Amino acid sequence: MRVSEIAMVTPKTVMECLMYLSNRGQDARLLAGGTDAIVQMKEKVGRPKIWINIGKLDELRFIREVGNEIHIGSLSTHTELANSKLIRSRASVLAEAAERVGATQIRNMGTIGGNIATASPAGDTLPALYVLDAELELQSFAKKRRIKIADFFLGPRRTLLQNDEIITKIIIKPMQENEIGIFEKLGPRRAQAISIVNVAIKLSMGSKARQCLAGKIAFGSVAPTIVRASKCEAMLTLGLLTDQHIEDIGKVAWREVSPISDIRASAIYRKDMAGALLIRGLYRLMKRWEDQ
Amino acid sequence: MKMKQRDKQKTYQWVGKRVQRKDGPEKVTGDLKYMTDYRYENMVWGRVLRAKHPYAKIKQIDTSRAEAYPGVICVLTYEDIPGFNGFGIVVPDQPVLCHDYVRCMSDAVALVAAETEEIAEEALQLIDVDYEVLTPVTDPEEAMKENAPMLHPSGNVHTHVQVQNGDIEKAFAEADIIVENTYISPRQMHAFIETEGGWGILEEDGSLTIRCPGQYAFRDRMQIARVLAWNPHRIHVVSNPIGGGFGGKDEITVQIYLALLALHTGGRPVKIHYKREESVIAGIKRHPFKVKMKTAAKKDGTLIANQVIAYGDTGAYASLGGAVISLAVEHSCGPYYIPNVDLNGYCVYTNNGVSGAFRGFGVNQVCFAMEQNIDIIAEKLGIDPIEIRKKNVYHQGGISSVGHRVTASVGTWETLDVAEKSDLWQRRHHYKNNPSEPWKKRGIGIASSFHGIGMGIGLPDYGAATIELLPGGRFLVGVCSEDIGQGNGTVFAIVAAEALQCHLDDIDVIQGDTKLTLDSGTVSASRSTYVGGNTILAAAPNMIQLLIHTAAEIFDIDPEFVEHRDGKLWKTIPVQGKEVLSYAEIYDYLYQHRRETKVEGHFMVPTAEKMIGKNVGMPHKVYGYQTHLVLVEVDMLTGETEVLQVLSIPDCGKVINLLGLEGQAEGGAVMGIGYTLYEDTVIENGLYKTTNFTNYILPTFKETPHIQTIPVESDEKSGPFGAKGIGEVVMIPIIPAIVQAIYDATGARIRHLPATPERVYQAMKEQGMI
Ligand SMILES: Cc1cc2nc3c(=O)[nH]c(=O)nc-3n(C[C@H](O)[C@H](O)[C@H](O)COP(=O)(O)OP(=O)(O)OC[C@H]3O[C@@H](n4cnc5c(N)ncnc54)[C@H](O)[C@@H]3O)c2cc1C
Repeated sequence: MRVSEIAMVTPKTVMECLMYLSNRGQDARLLAGGTDAIVQMKEKVGRPKIWINIGKLDELRFIREVGNEIHIGSLSTHTELANSKLIRSRASVLAEAAERVGATQIRNMGTIGGNIATASPAGDTLPALYVLDAELELQSFAKKRRIKIADFFLGPRRTLLQNDEIITKIIIKPMQENEIGIFEKLGPRRAQAISIVNVAIKLSMGSKARQCLAGKIAFGSVAPTIVRASKCEAMLTLGLLTDQHIEDIGKVAWREVSPISDIRASAIYRKDMAGALLIRGLYRLMKRWEDQ
Repeated sequence: MKMKQRDKQKTYQWVGKRVQRKDGPEKVTGDLKYMTDYRYENMVWGRVLRAKHPYAKIKQIDTSRAEAYPGVICVLTYEDIPGFNGFGIVVPDQPVLCHDYVRCMSDAVALVAAETEEIAEEALQLIDVDYEVLTPVTDPEEAMKENAPMLHPSGNVHTHVQVQNGDIEKAFAEADIIVENTYISPRQMHAFIETEGGWGILEEDGSLTIRCPGQYAFRDRMQIARVLAWNPHRIHVVSNPIGGGFGGKDEITVQIYLALLALHTGGRPVKIHYKREESVIAGIKRHPFKVKMKTAAKKDGTLIANQVIAYGDTGAYASLGGAVISLAVEHSCGPYYIPNVDLNGYCVYTNNGVSGAFRGFGVNQVCFAMEQNIDIIAEKLGIDPIEIRKKNVYHQGGISSVGHRVTASVGTWETLDVAEKSDLWQRRHHYKNNPSEPWKKRGIGIASSFHGIGMGIGLPDYGAATIELLPGGRFLVGVCSEDIGQGNGTVFAIVAAEALQCHLDDIDVIQGDTKLTLDSGTVSASRSTYVGGNTILAAAPNMIQLLIHTAAEIFDIDPEFVEHRDGKLWKTIPVQGKEVLSYAEIYDYLYQHRRETKVEGHFMVPTAEKMIGKNVGMPHKVYGYQTHLVLVEVDMLTGETEVLQVLSIPDCGKVINLLGLEGQAEGGAVMGIGYTLYEDTVIENGLYKTTNFTNYILPTFKETPHIQTIPVESDEKSGPFGAKGIGEVVMIPIIPAIVQAIYDATGARIRHLPATPERVYQAMKEQGMI
């Protein structure tokens, strides 16, 4: 397929979009911000016959509190996430992750839906969504379904999404008063960098100094999909999070991950960095908690 | 310090001021159209078929399927080359289109012109090339072995440059300390904003116009002509404006392809513009070096011996590789005097792409080694790193380590002195003791270097400028030397405005055009301010003579009674008529009398007294000097290094444009940071692992620290207003300075660049710091 011969349709409503998909889903591909899809098109990966440009579907661009949940429209951009008062106060780990995506231009264009659907092991919002117990609403012309984020990913660039479906929204649990979270990213440089390793941490803190009641830790870029670090999570509550205990938790991290070597980093370094980022994140979290 | 006295004597109107670049606004706003931004109605697209293997024998090339493809206009192979099938600045050993072997992935095998870019690209897939795949030679030291496959008839060692002085063995025996290390440096990419590209147009009169960014239009024209077997005068090369050069457009890029295609498109303009991915593969790179260096000193820090073996990987073709190695050897001992030296540089062919000119030209790699060795010696002897350098620098009139008397100005000591007196150095303990987070450590590093100005002895090095008086009394200054981003056009305007006593806005500058300007040599070798400035200063008196003589004619007096002052022509004797004439009035008179209003000036670059051995280009007469002082912070958990502060102290002679100098110093610092911490074009088994800017990591604004520039203005008598050159050395000593700062912070020595987080982390782990 020549790029110049690819058609493009721009539906005005989600229903119109779903209708296209139900008819032409085989030949079509969604285009949101295009920051992944266009790059792939240039690399001759996944060139469709038709682009369905969903960039104008403002119905999918919202961030709101609904009962006990926060609903995020899939077309929300990283900039919108990073700037949202709601996300910053009740899901700060996601705001931090969105803030570390690419650079300003990419954050203005790239959407959370695209970040999820691309299913890159290095996608920066994904670990944050894991620790926030995110669920995805997938919609086709015929039906809607809601699935847990961890179930959505089958492997690198492979998901449960059917070709007549789109991600309409992302549902997360807001963080409580005693919860704190952080996103740590190691890239080859500070901006416009694909993560070598990233990690999201969410902790529920107790009344004692550095007392952790429960915690969630999710690593990215160290396995075919995001991985939860269950051993490290279990250790969080074994004692107060003193610097020594933090370092001990960090020492276990390498066992949670199964990275590969590529042009960005060796597998060994990635294993070590899983621990390093976890330690750095916990240090920083404890400082924040104590400064509060 | 001499300069200060001179400043008192002379006040300049433009020279030394902070002058905004003439091309600044249009470049910053994006208004400027680069040549590759243009499109024409009836244009066609050209594409280049590259080698499929890093080393293979071509058995057959069949273009018939591609030729039959709808939309294809022509497909060209080596058989379509009318003249000499080769290019290369020094030795034209690179085939334009390969016919027997491909020696690297950069090699071009065929050209296609088609109605659209997509068709051209598809047609490339339809060219059937039958290869016999050979095992590539990928390591210079392996390539030098007897049994290695010979990539060129002359063998795999393109050049061996050697300098020997004194008695190295005796010196090592007498030394109190000897430090020996091996340093490895990366294959940096120029990464200019505008990738290689341009236009070829066969004009109605049968001449050719090539519009293609380059760094020496006249030499590009010669290389094109040689391939076409044409009289060069039938070829018009336009090489300005340029979206960045840095040496990467010094060699031929696409000019010859454009010329060949233009001869087969029926007069339709043909455009080639590489995608970044193609630029990565096709473009020349900085030579990766392995430098083995053994340096000896006495207890008091006096350097007494240096033994250097440098291997430069020039890739499949020579380009400027020989000259790069020669410059590396010339500069391998730093701006110091070491009496006993044995310096060896090997420029070696491999199947790893092509290496060539790049800002610094071999000096970066050896400076990295030399400055580290000095630092290690200083530390072991307990001597302050600034003091050991001050002690060993040569001064003006002194002898360099390659053994020649340096008669031009030398400001190294002063640059070190400025560094020593700086707040960053004076309060270094304070800066170091306050890292931003507890698991981070800070360190300070200092290093000095130098860089020759111009081609060096034995190579033709000249320049020429034209100055034309324009309507309204304005001037058009023509210097072919292109503005590759460094701002030399503004320098030319400043020099002309100063010399002609007019306003800067009354000077237009034209560059990079073989019809409209005279040959003024390359834009390379940190030479264009020095040479271009001098050519303008040679032309300006001719213009002033023209103005005076014309005024005399108008006044109807003898020229000796005409005074040129304040940008006007004054009558100094009382005769009837006007008292004073403006340039505009002179122009009008000349125009009415159908007279020439253009003058020329020529300049030969002075050379050192004699060549060092048989090394053409060595030594230089004039050098620019530079010291960098940096503060870094290393994350001990991850190995990430952040450069926090840079003090850039160039000795460029008299500063012509302070703002331009700061631009060079800042850009150079960032490029040096990139080289040291991030950048490498990875080639494995002859194949590129690096594909584009996704995995070629350039520093961004977030990696850009606070950079302060404090020039030291040693007065260079032979330079325009005392100026030397600075374009390259501003990126050099920052490299070892950062590496030393990392050592100062962490205790780990990095000997392999770039010092990525992983390398720093590994070094800390291996050397027991974490
Ligand atoms: C220079 C650069 C830097 C980058 N840096 C980062 C980084 O630091 N971290 C990071 O995580 N990513 C980074 N990316 C990748 C990319 O920007 C993000 O993944 C972004 O979130 C993708 O969103 P998009 O809207 O642009 O997706 P698109 O490119 O429009 O789409 C991506 C894929 O998702 C599908 N899709 C989009 N929306 C939906 C939907 N609502 N439902 C179903 N499928 C959908 C598309 O069909 C396509 O297959 C970078 C990209 C570039 C070019």
